Order: sequence, then C-alpha cells, then structure tokens
Amino acid sequence: MSTNALALPAGGHAGSRGLWVLAWLRFCRDRVGLVSLAVVVIYFAIVAASRIGWIAGDWSKEVGVSYAPPSVMGPDAAPAAAAAPDATAGPVADDTGVVDPLAEELAEIRNGLAGLSDSEPRAATLAFGGDKWGRDVLQKAIKGTETSLLVGLAAALLAAFLGTLFGAQAGYHGGWVDDLFNWFYSVFTSIPYLLLILAIAAVLNQKGTATVILILGLTGWTGIFRLVRAEYMKHKVREYVRAADVIGASDARRMFVHILPNVSHVVLVQISLHVVLFIKSEVVLSFLGFGVGVDTVSWGSMLNEAQNELILGKWWQLAAATAAMAVLVTAFSLLTDALRDALDPRIK
Amino acid sequence: MPAYAVRRLWQFFPTLLGVVLLVFALFNWVGGDPAYLLAGKISNPEQIENIRRQLGVDQPYAVQLWIFVKQIAGADFGASWATNEKVSEIIATRLGPSLTVLVPLLVISTILAMAAAMLVTYLRGSLTDRAIMIGCTVGQSVSILVYIIVAQYVLAYQFGWFPVQGWGNNLAENLLRYSALPVIVGVIVSLAPDIRLYRSFFLEEINQDYVRTARSKGLSETRVMWVHVLRNAAIPIVTNVMIQLPGMLVGAFLIERFFSIPGIGREVILAVERSDFPVLKAVTIYVAIVTMIVNLAADLLYKAIDPRVELE
Amino acid sequence: MLRARRFAALALLALVLPLASEGADLDKTLRVTFPTAETGFDPVKVSDVYSGQVIDAIFDPLLTYDYLARPARLVPNVAETLPLVADDGRTYTLKIRQGIYFAADPVFKGVKRELTAGDYAYSIKRFLDPRNRSPYAFLFEGKIVGLDELAAQAKKTRRFDYDAKAAGLEVPDRYTLRIRLRRPDFNFSHMLAFPLVGAVAREAIEAYGDDTNSHPVGTGPYLLKRYARSSKIVLEANPDYRGKIWDFAPGDDPLDVEIAARMKGRKLPAIGTVEISVMDETQSRWLAFQRAETDIEYQLVEVAPTFMTEDGRLRPEFERRGIRLDRSVDPEITYTFFNMQEKIGDQPNPLAGFSKERIALRRAIAMAYKIDDQIRIIRKGQAMRAQFPIPPGVAGHDPRYRSSIPYDPQLANALLDKFQYKRGPDGYRMLPGGKPLVIRYWSMPTERDRQFDELFKRSLDSIGVRLEIHKDRFAELNKLGHECRLMMRAAAWIADYPDGDNFMQLLYGPNTGQTNSACYRSPEFDRLYENSRSMPDSAERNRLYRQMARLMEVHTVWILADSRYRNVLLQPHVVGYRKHPVLFSEWLYIDLDPGSRK
Repeated sequence: MSTNALALPAGGHAGSRGLWVLAWLRFCRDRVGLVSLAVVVIYFAIVAASRIGWIAGDWSKEVGVSYAPPSVMGPDAAPAAAAAPDATAGPVADDTGVVDPLAEELAEIRNGLAGLSDSEPRAATLAFGGDKWGRDVLQKAIKGTETSLLVGLAAALLAAFLGTLFGAQAGYHGGWVDDLFNWFYSVFTSIPYLLLILAIAAVLNQKGTATVILILGLTGWTGIFRLVRAEYMKHKVREYVRAADVIGASDARRMFVHILPNVSHVVLVQISLHVVLFIKSEVVLSFLGFGVGVDTVSWGSMLNEAQNELILGKWWQLAAATAAMAVLVTAFSLLTDALRDALDPRIK
Repeated sequence: MPAYAVRRLWQFFPTLLGVVLLVFALFNWVGGDPAYLLAGKISNPEQIENIRRQLGVDQPYAVQLWIFVKQIAGADFGASWATNEKVSEIIATRLGPSLTVLVPLLVISTILAMAAAMLVTYLRGSLTDRAIMIGCTVGQSVSILVYIIVAQYVLAYQFGWFPVQGWGNNLAENLLRYSALPVIVGVIVSLAPDIRLYRSFFLEEINQDYVRTARSKGLSETRVMWVHVLRNAAIPIVTNVMIQLPGMLVGAFLIERFFSIPGIGREVILAVERSDFPVLKAVTIYVAIVTMIVNLAADLLYKAIDPRVELE
Repeated sequence: MLRARRFAALALLALVLPLASEGADLDKTLRVTFPTAETGFDPVKVSDVYSGQVIDAIFDPLLTYDYLARPARLVPNVAETLPLVADDGRTYTLKIRQGIYFAADPVFKGVKRELTAGDYAYSIKRFLDPRNRSPYAFLFEGKIVGLDELAAQAKKTRRFDYDAKAAGLEVPDRYTLRIRLRRPDFNFSHMLAFPLVGAVAREAIEAYGDDTNSHPVGTGPYLLKRYARSSKIVLEANPDYRGKIWDFAPGDDPLDVEIAARMKGRKLPAIGTVEISVMDETQSRWLAFQRAETDIEYQLVEVAPTFMTEDGRLRPEFERRGIRLDRSVDPEITYTFFNMQEKIGDQPNPLAGFSKERIALRRAIAMAYKIDDQIRIIRKGQAMRAQFPIPPGVAGHDPRYRSSIPYDPQLANALLDKFQYKRGPDGYRMLPGGKPLVIRYWSMPTERDRQFDELFKRSLDSIGVRLEIHKDRFAELNKLGHECRLMMRAAAWIADYPDGDNFMQLLYGPNTGQTNSACYRSPEFDRLYENSRSMPDSAERNRLYRQMARLMEVHTVWILADSRYRNVLLQPHVVGYRKHPVLFSEWLYIDLDPGSRK
C-alpha cells in the first residue's frame, strides 16, 4: 500500500498550463514516443473509418470459401467434389397419412418459383485469408480493432472515472469516508481477479460489448483509486487549496476544479496503461465465454476462434489478430512510457 | 510496530466481512440454481425440489448466510456438489501441483528479470537499454493464449523437447519433466512486465541521496549497483512477488488447462462450469485471506527495513 | 487358512471356467484420456459419460450387450439368461450366477463376499433414495410396484428404509430377483443392462458413507487402483474377477471379421492396467496422441480435418504410421426446438401454436437453417444429417425415412411473404399485424455455441427474421427449459438405451417440464405415443414412429439437425476395438499387442 506513496512526484502546483506545455516540449524530443503516437493515431483513424462504415462495413459478408487461404499461398487443392446435395429434395413416399396443413400454400408457392439458384460465387483465396465461414480475415481484424480499442478505451475511462471519483473522495475527506472507500478497496482487491470477473459477469448475465466494458471497468478501478487517493492526500494540504478555501470554494469545487487538473497527469498515464491492460483482458474474457456478442468481432473472439485453427494449418486468423494486437499494444505501451517521461521528468 | 500490526489485524475483520457478503451475494443470491445442473437428463419438479433441499439452497437467505459464516469459522466448507469430495481435500490436493509450477516460475522469472533490470539500469539511456525496453514492450503485447498455443505446438510437439502435457506421481518427475514447459511459458510471459517494473525500482533507488553520497565517497559504480542499489531495490521486488502469488494461484488457469496440471486454477474453472459453489466460495475466501496476510506482511517488511515509510 | 480358502475358491472357479482372469497382463497399460473431469464412481450419484466409463469397468449390471452385434443386442452378464418376461411385460424374473465375488476390500474384513440377488435389489433401491439425488432416478421411477412408496416415505422420514420390502422388488431366494412393474414395459431389460445399474455391496456403501464416489467396490473386471481426482485414474485388472472369454460372432463387416479372428478365445480382461488422464484442451489431446503419449483418442472433432479425408477415411500419412480409425455414428440426434406455448413468462410467443400462420413461421425458419454449413463447417464434416427423430443403431430407426422439410430459403421467404410477414424499413420482417417480430435464441457462453449463434443469425438473416441471442449458463438454461421459457434453443439427446422410445418421449405432451422442452402438446401425437409404448419393437410400432415423425415435421416443432460421427483413433498396437453404441467403455474387450508397438 505504501510503495506508491513513495514513488509519487512532487510537481504539480506550479500551475497546470505550464506543466502541459513543458511536457509537450519534452515529448517532442522523444522519437520513439512520436513514432508510437503516429501508430496510435493511425489506429484511431482506422477505427474511426470503420465506425463510420468507410471500411470493413461488410466484414460479416462471406466473400470467400471456407478457410480461403491468403492469396500468396494460392488456393487449396480442389476439395473432393462438394458433398452431393441430399438426394431427397422432392416429396418422399409417405405411408404415414399425416396431412400437412400448409400443403396447399406450399404447392402454390412452389409452382410460382422458378428454379433460381441463390448461390453467389466465392473467392478461392483472399488477400489475408478467410475464416471458417469465408469472411475476410483482414476486414475482421479491422472490425476487431474497432471493438477491442473501443472496449479498452471505454473500460479504461470507466475505471478512471470510478477510481478518480472514489480516490478524490477518500483522499480529500479522509476520516470515515476514507475508511469506507478503503474498506471497499480491500474487499475488491482481496478477491481473486478471475473470480471477481466471473462473478460480475454472472451478475450482469448479458452478452455484448457493453457488458465487457462494464466487467473490465468495474473490476479495474482499484489501482487508479489508490494513486489518486494518495495524490489528493498530498494536495489538500497545499497552499493553493487552502487559498481556495479562504475564498469560499465548496469541497466539490476544490476537489474537481482546483486539485483535479494538478493530478490529471497521473490519471492520464493510468488511463493509457489500463487501455493496454483491458485490451489484453478482453482476450481472456473471450476464452472464458464472456466476450463480445455474435454480431460483432474482437481480437479476443478472433484469437479464441483461431485456437484450434493453428493445428488445422489455418494460421492466418491467429496471425492477423496477434499482429494487429501486438502493434497497437506495443505502440500504446511505448506511448505511455513517453507520456510518463514527459509528464513526470524526475524518473528517467 | 506491534501496535500497527495489531491494528492491521483488526482491520481484517471488516474486510473479511465485506468479502463474505460479496461472495454470498454473488453465489447464493444471483448465482442461479444448481439443482438443474445436478438433476440429470430426465427429472421432475419433485426431484429438483429434493436436490434443492439436499443442498440447502431452499433455506431463507439469512439461514444460508449463517451457515456460510459457520463454515468459514470452522474452515469446513462441506463437500463439492458435483463430486461429493470434501472441499478441504480439494484445496489440499490441488495446491501442490499449483505451487510446483508457480514457485519455480516466480523464482526463475524474478531472478532473470532482476538481472536484466540491473543490466539496463546500469546502461540506462543507452541504445541497449532502449532496445531491451522496447523488446519487453513488444513481448508484453502478445496474448498469453498465443504464447501457450504456440509454445506447446512448437516446443513440445514439433521439436519434442518436452511432453505435450501431463502430470506424474512424484515431485521430481513433476518438477523436472512436466513443469518445465509450463514454467518456461510462464517465465516468458512474466519476464517482460517484470523487467519493466524492476527497472523502475532500480531507477528509483539510483536517484536517492544515499547513492549520490556513496558515489561521492568514491565507490565504484559497480559496487554502488551491487551493494546499495540491489539491496534496497530488493525490498519492493520481493514484496511484489509475494503480493502476486495468491492471485496467480487462480490466475494460472490457462497454463494449467493446456498442460493438464491438476492445480487450483483449473479446479476453479471446472467448478464454474459445474456451478460448484462450495468450491468457489472456499477458494475465494481462502485466497482473500491469504491476500490480506501477504499484503500485511509486505507492509510490515517495508516498515521493518525502511523506517521512512509512513504507515497509514 | 485364508489363503487356502481363497485358493480353493480359485480352484473351484477354474473348474467352472477353465480360464479365469489370470489372463490380464499387468504390464499391459492402456493410456486413454477424458476431455472433461469425471465426477465420481458411485453409480447412483453421477450422470456424466466419463464417470460412467469407469463405473462400467468396475461394476457388473445383470445384463449387458453383445460387443459386436449391431444394432446392440442384449445378452446376460451375471444373470444366467435373459430375464423371463411374463404377465404381458409386467413381470421380469432373473437368475443370478453363483460363485461371483466382489473385489477384495477392507470392508469385507478378509472374507470373500458373494454377489446375491439382494445386492441388485439394494442397488436399484439406491436410485430412488432422496439422499442420493440420483440423476438417473428416472430409470426406475414410477415403474416398480411399491418402490415409489418407499421413496415417498423416505422423503418424510429423511431416511430410506432399505430393509422395508417393496412388493415389486422381490428376492425369493439368494440368487433370484423378481421385478413387478406397474404397467407393461418391454424396454425394462435395457434398464437392467444400463452400465450404471451395477451391483454395489451394502457394506461398502455404508462403510464409505459420503465418500462412495472415490471407493467403488464391484464385481467387474477392473478395480480402482490409484485416483487423483480430475487428473488421473488408474484401473487395474480385478484379481477376483470371474473371467470372460472373447467369443463374439462377427456380422458382415470385414473389420468385425478381422477382429473376431484375432481376438477369439482371448482371456478377458487382457489389459492389466488402464490409465486415464484428464486433458481439457483439444490441442493437448491431439498433440499427445500424435506423440504416442496416449493409445486411444475419441474426442477430436475440432481438429478432425487434420486426420480425416473429406469422404470419412483416415488420411494416408496416418495410415502409413499404422494408426487406425474406428468410425461409427453416435446414437444421438441434435435438434433445435421451438417453444410451442402461447406465452413465455408473460410475453406473447410469436412461434407458438398450431395456426397456419405460426406453423408457416416455424417452417420458414426450419427451411432457412443452413444445415449443410453446420455439418461442413461446425462439425468439420463429421456428422450425418438426421432425417428421423430416432438415430441409427437404435430400435425404431428407419434408414429410408426422409424429412419433408428441405433447406430452401427461397421457399421460406415466399412462404413468409404469403402469410403477410412483411418487411419493415430495416429489412427485417414484422408480424402480420405490423408488430415487431423478434426471435429469442438461447445458448451457452462457449466458443462452440458461438458458432451455432453465428449460423442461426446468418440463417435467419437470409429470410429477414430478426434473431436475438441470449446467453446463460447450463443450469439456468435447463431451468428455463423446464419452465417452458426458452423460445428457441439447440439441444442434443443421446440414447440411454437403444430403443426409439427414449427419443420419442422427448415430444410427449405430459413430459412437458421434464424432457419435452418444446412444450409440445399435440393430442394426436400423444395418442400415437401412448399406443407405441405398449408395443414391443415391431413393424407396427415402426409405423407409428413414422407417423409421429411426420406429425412433428408438419407441426414443425424441431429443426432436426444431425447425428455425429465418432472417429476413434487407435495406436497400432491396440487390437479388437469397436466403439459400442451403448456400453460406455470397451476396455474389457480389447487388447494391446506389443509386437505392433515398435
């Protein structure tokens, strides 16, 4: 509990504007940070484009054959003549004497329907391969990026919101308020994370992106709470807060207008750290069956699907999801490091 | 110091009470009805009612809560609903395999991560430092699920260096033969984040006044690193490892499932699948208690070694 | 003294059966896997097939099935003959062979304990003891005269009185068991052959109390040697086993002929040790088998294309390694049911009822379901389309019967158009009155179910019907199913005994709230079913079954999907293996020929 109290920076009250300008100047000198920022921005651009529907809008369309290989590999050897259709389409000898109440209507419709075929041509290969239904893995990966990034961001914001709110109350008010939140905190951190996740998943008992965000956000606020609480404890005795007290600012105003900007850099770094953490947790949630719904796709659902595909020699979905995830998570982590360095120059 | 320890011990009770209430609410109130799982393929309402009575889930919540509290006080959680095995026996027999993997994993990954972290601290700011840190970040970005699937496929199956999975009867065989690959996978997964974390501990120490004093007294950088920095950075590292352990008991379920290790994590997943609440409740409570004890021990350790730490 | 007695007993056995079980070679170890942890080995306390396999090897039911005969044929096991059925299928009399002993166990205090008819009466009573909450109580519930009264009494007194007599469960002498049924039942022999209806010894059950699950004591070919729960189970040949000789007549199947030629006359059990490892993940089981760490593997559907060709044979590279395949169809059907109740909870159910409009909606959904994709992609080709509600290998199955519901999304669309399910602005159809139409489909939160979710969603999208997917855990879904509160759910049923009745009862109106999750109540169907129930397996009964199947189709209660193939992979040295449709484990009948190993 005390490890972090030690590690916290002393800066802050020098006026928040200056802090951010200085940080930005420091950040610009960090080349790795800039590259990571560029990568993350590109990802966000892709997500925005996919959100609007410019790209990957029809990811769920089956454009290729089942497990269409990537184009570079060429198509699979023609499968042994496609399974013969049921030789029984027509009516069958019937000794049962059971009458179909719809017989008349069906006969009428059948006469009206010409023998149209509704099968569409399917590609034998796709640029980055296809999944089991023949959906384009690249499009899935893009759509998955959208979902996973959204989940990571939203859950991190939720966790940050809860952590900051609770941490501010606890740190600022102290006394029984602090005790209450601390109690809450220790209860949450004493229960194994996995069981907590399973339990909350069981309570929410719904499936879908919003549920995943809630599960991650509701279980992930504790780390942020601890840091923010420590910050508030430190700041509330500072002169500028006392000065605000003198001019009659309310508690809430002091907490969120005066102190918050001075601790926001801590929260910002934590948010970006948690985005990465939650993107990875989503994969495990999918493994446990609490992933996103069936009408959407995430990296977790892709990896989970691809679990047995590696043995089948269909490595492309695993590769696409892993690569898309690795690049973003790496960039995001490096960006977080750069942010931390820029905002908190003492540790270098 | 003893006064502090006593005060902290007293704080156990409200926390434990919170955990108990939360666990009870989750499993007994919203956890669903296990009777339908145990009832078999063909069953009628009387059979369901009978099962509910046998399990005691037809009692009022207050009575069930009281039974639960008594179970915790007596450290006797009864028997698994699915198998009738005593919960205490389940935990006792599954703990060994879990630890057989976790202890070597933590020891090896801590030692390796400390060595690497010291190296990069020593070379801080250099190209090597940056390269290793970026490497760690990349390594951290791949899901553990991928590490396990690929390692099992390539190292065990294709190269045949390890058994694909399994568990034996004696410690030596388990430790040297069956735990090897799971431990390696675990080390690979935890190495990257550990190096990053420990590096920050080392850097923290290097910027302390006493290090500057030591340097100004003319001690060599190597000596400063090995003696002063290492000794002081070891405290947060050791406490960090301690704090990790209880969570990993349950959290290692992916490794345990893929390598068929009969540990706690796998048992928890199995219990979840079977809605076997006595097992889940017991594991949750025990892990919570161990977590609290470990946290306290970590804080006390801090206090004992570093009086600057103000205990809350 | 003791040894002498035992020796004498052995000598006696040797006279009766010149080749007692000294045949088992303890150095022969068969290594197999379970994909899911077992629950325990008390026959009345378990319901999973994995526990059943071990129980099958440890305990002896009165009757069993011929190893090779297909469809499965009843043969006596510890009974001298098949039961004498009298009184129009109401009275079953069995004579038990003398000189069969339980495996030595400390509870017998060193005395050899002979198996008697009373042990079976006791074992059957245990199924109805409320304290055992047996998942298979239905095998005997409501069937035997006087037995349910004992169970009802036990519910009141909280203690089952095993010494009380049940009129229908008599033991006229030490080796005779007479069972009287409340109504005629020609399938009752199957209950006596069910692998979980083996004889337990009352002393052992009482001595081990709550721990019977880990202390099975039976008369069967194996005994539990070592047991690490949900990890490793080691069985060893029971030295007190009476012994059996491999002697089964092969049919036309050349594989059967080959097996019979090779196995005939071998002393059983031939394998001394069976070592079972629990492996949860498919990847682990498949890689372990390929590295010859296991001998038999039968749960590899997800990776089937790596070793199966599209036409259902083993890939040549595996054949070259000497690995062999045993392929059969499981006696099961998978289907998706529609809820037929007018209301679900307090919400109206758009799928319910027998009006033309509602039947048309169900029919359209059934015709839109991409069953071929289910078989080709989800099952990886390892299933056959089910045409009839009774699967192959089960009495009453009709191989010539064809379902009258084709896959035809065009027809489905046209049918919905005709019945005024008009499309709204978003492309999804509405109810004839213009109210929104939403079908709620329920499944479990697993990767396997996710594939079905995707397939149903795609299928219903193709006819413009909006599908909402709801998730819940297995127990909750069972509960909702019992309460008729699932609008639509995929289900599977595997034969408990190889008779069509076990399947047709799934649609019987009075079984609503139990197995009839569609809550289908058709007076016509119920009348046919009740007639069929009083008949033995016959052409006449088959005709009723065909009528019932067609009735289910015209009412469109289920979308009948498929029966899965079971592809059992065998290492080269495993001989004599044939998957049995009803028996849980085949370990008793197979052997390892070390010559083929290296």
